[in-house]
Amino acid sequence: MAAVTTVNSANRRRMTSLLGKPWSGVAVLLVFYIALIIVFSVLSPFFLSVRNMLSIGQNIAFVGLMAAAGTPLIIAGGLDLSVAAIAGLTGVAISILQGAGLDIWVAVALSLVIAAGVGIVNGLFTTRLRLNPLIVTLGMMSIVSGLSLVLTGGLTRPMMFPTFNWVGQGRVGGIPIPLVIMAVTFVALWVVLTRTRFGRFVYASGGNAEAARLIGIPVDRTIIVLYVISALSGAVAGIILCAMLGAAAPTSAGQYLLTVIAAIILGGTSLNGGRGSVWGTLLAILILGTLNNGLTLLNVSSFWQDVTRGVVLMLAVSLDQIRTRALGD
Amino acid sequence: MTSANTPRLTMKGIGKSFGGVPVLSNVDFTVAPGEVVALLGSNGAGKSTLMKILTGLYTRDGGTIAIDGREVTFASPAEAVAVGVRLLPQEISIMPDMTVAENIFVGDLPMKRSLGFLTVDDGAMRRRSRELLDQLGFGSIDPDTPMKRLAVAEQRIVEIARALAGQARILIMDEPTAALTEQEAHLIFKIIRRLKEQQVSVVYISHYLSEVFEISDQIVVLRDGKNAGTFATAATRQSEVLSAMLGNTVDDLYAVGGGVAPGADVLGVEKLSIPGKLSEIDFSIRAGEILGIFGLVGSGVEVLGRALYGALGPLKDGNVKLAGKTYRPFSPRAGKLAGIGFVAAERKKEGIIADLTVRENMALTFQERYERGLFVSEAAETANANNWISALGIRTRGPEQKIRTLSGGNQQKVCIARWLVDGVQLLILEEPTRGVDVGARKEIYGKLRELADRGFAVLVLSSDVEEVAGLSDRTLVLDRGRVVGRFARGASPAELMAATSDDPAFSAA
Repeated sequence: MAAVTTVNSANRRRMTSLLGKPWSGVAVLLVFYIALIIVFSVLSPFFLSVRNMLSIGQNIAFVGLMAAAGTPLIIAGGLDLSVAAIAGLTGVAISILQGAGLDIWVAVALSLVIAAGVGIVNGLFTTRLRLNPLIVTLGMMSIVSGLSLVLTGGLTRPMMFPTFNWVGQGRVGGIPIPLVIMAVTFVALWVVLTRTRFGRFVYASGGNAEAARLIGIPVDRTIIVLYVISALSGAVAGIILCAMLGAAAPTSAGQYLLTVIAAIILGGTSLNGGRGSVWGTLLAILILGTLNNGLTLLNVSSFWQDVTRGVVLMLAVSLDQIRTRALGD
Repeated sequence: MTSANTPRLTMKGIGKSFGGVPVLSNVDFTVAPGEVVALLGSNGAGKSTLMKILTGLYTRDGGTIAIDGREVTFASPAEAVAVGVRLLPQEISIMPDMTVAENIFVGDLPMKRSLGFLTVDDGAMRRRSRELLDQLGFGSIDPDTPMKRLAVAEQRIVEIARALAGQARILIMDEPTAALTEQEAHLIFKIIRRLKEQQVSVVYISHYLSEVFEISDQIVVLRDGKNAGTFATAATRQSEVLSAMLGNTVDDLYAVGGGVAPGADVLGVEKLSIPGKLSEIDFSIRAGEILGIFGLVGSGVEVLGRALYGALGPLKDGNVKLAGKTYRPFSPRAGKLAGIGFVAAERKKEGIIADLTVRENMALTFQERYERGLFVSEAAETANANNWISALGIRTRGPEQKIRTLSGGNQQKVCIARWLVDGVQLLILEEPTRGVDVGARKEIYGKLRELADRGFAVLVLSSDVEEVAGLSDRTLVLDRGRVVGRFARGASPAELMAATSDDPAFSAA
């Protein structure tokens, strides 16, 4: 009896100490991703082809973009639920501004400015008024998606301009442009997070805002900038989506919010702030995208795909909680 | 059956160690029914550990506890409460939005059956609350008032009523007057006298000797986890108690000044005031000097340092000069750029960034100095970290270790190293060795002396009287927001402690 307990507790200790390793999160994801690829390759002859891989890439790119930008924000202790709504508004804004006689690229530029403004408002409310980011950005999500519907009357507006649509449908060296944009974003944010002063401020602000303030780190400014980056990522995602679909649909992007947040959390970024990496988020996005694609190839109903995504997310969060405890001791 | 002379509480030969380090050894502690026993000792003497054992928060390693002659062992705080052991923590713990009556009975609400459902018996709760408050002599407090409308002293009284509602037989009061004015403190004394009449035993923990002498029957002193004396209050002088608490020898924990003559004034403060916290503080500190500021909790010692640094925002009243130039405390960032370094008391909450490495924690304060072009140079950070790891003797596996996993003393050294760069002239440290073991304390004291010898002005604010007395070249004593004493090097802990007491008989002793 006693001996069994000892063995169990020794095993548990070994388990928790393994989970406590800083790389364990990303390693687990990588193993899971590879396992997923093997399983789907065996089950479906269409899965493991360049064509299908690029199709996965095309489909995850704009979601991945938002998840990439959301990662440093959550590391710094923030949260942006309005990002997908901003994507929707951006398409609408471009379409309306262009319809009013502006050049399409001027309209694009203006829509980025609008998005940045939304990000600044999110940032000011959460930092200066010390409001809970969940509430602030939930409110902003409602405002922004509501406005998109008001501006369009709920209708989808066609967006057919060859140069514009190229952003969503074109390829460079065989790689879909959205995928290129996503990859560049990930690399840029990785460099910023790990190699710059700003990146250090991000981790310090999320790890211990009070201590960071007391050593003179501009915590509020850091967080406001991150809200702007997140909002801009929403805008670029909106542009990509709009260009891909050839239409500005006010409600087209909202459904991806859950995937964005799920990917960040699944990627090992702590909702409590202070910990996380963009590589974790990238792997998580790949996993979620592959899961979707593979299940579709296997003719699993899309309703079941929602269930699967939820299960994966809850497993990941539980694992993260266990890791946090392992680190806490 | 308990006879008249069975003690209410007998703790005998209590021992406790943490990780092999003994914090209590063979401690005896006895309280008679209706007796007020003051428990005294400086920081780390073992008072709170002893009380945590009594309230079931810790289990003892050795010894026995008996209540009314019956031996007890508490596996949890609930078991201690069940036999009438109640603790009033230093921080008032109430539910501000509930009424006085609800606060008193929240742990054991009187219930009744109405329409077949169990519901809270509001009438009974109100009636019994009124009885209890009357018993304490505060029938004036209305049981229906929301708790947040009461003054702090009244909230204390309600807390005591709550303990009585739970049939308290032993009431432990930890610094019950810390947040109160002198007049309010006397209300608490009045209540303690009533409790005595009702045969409730009180353990009274306080740093204020004058209070202890006013209210207690017996005084038990702990020092380094051992009994250092038991006194009948009426037959004892305060100086006897002080020497039991502090000892008469200053140990060799503190490094003597290197004989470097202090340089020019680094900081000059005139008439610095913060309404309700500090009033008209004047002092100056020179390069190469360690200035200690001693004060008990609530004296202003916990705000003065951060006020000067700028952590309390812009200051309106007072003139501050930093290196000859006018300096207006404004924000931590402004303080930092003006050449002030600040190490906060609460290391975990306000000091370390737990998930970052030693290297990152050290570089963070002046991150711009570790850049090559646009990018952070890890090599420069590592060089800096290695330098201070060896110069300050930081025990770590290396610069890449997460600071979270270091011991308190080593974390503190990292927090100090953050400020050791060109341009910083003044180091402000709050409670520099709180939660740090004795060995590391000695090292930190030595390093602070070295830093002073190198030309830093070092300002230490602390509620640890021995620390201030041993470390400082000069000392200021704060009490209720004012400077009440100024001492040259060599002042004894007893002298500093005496300055906080306005009891003239005591000051003479």
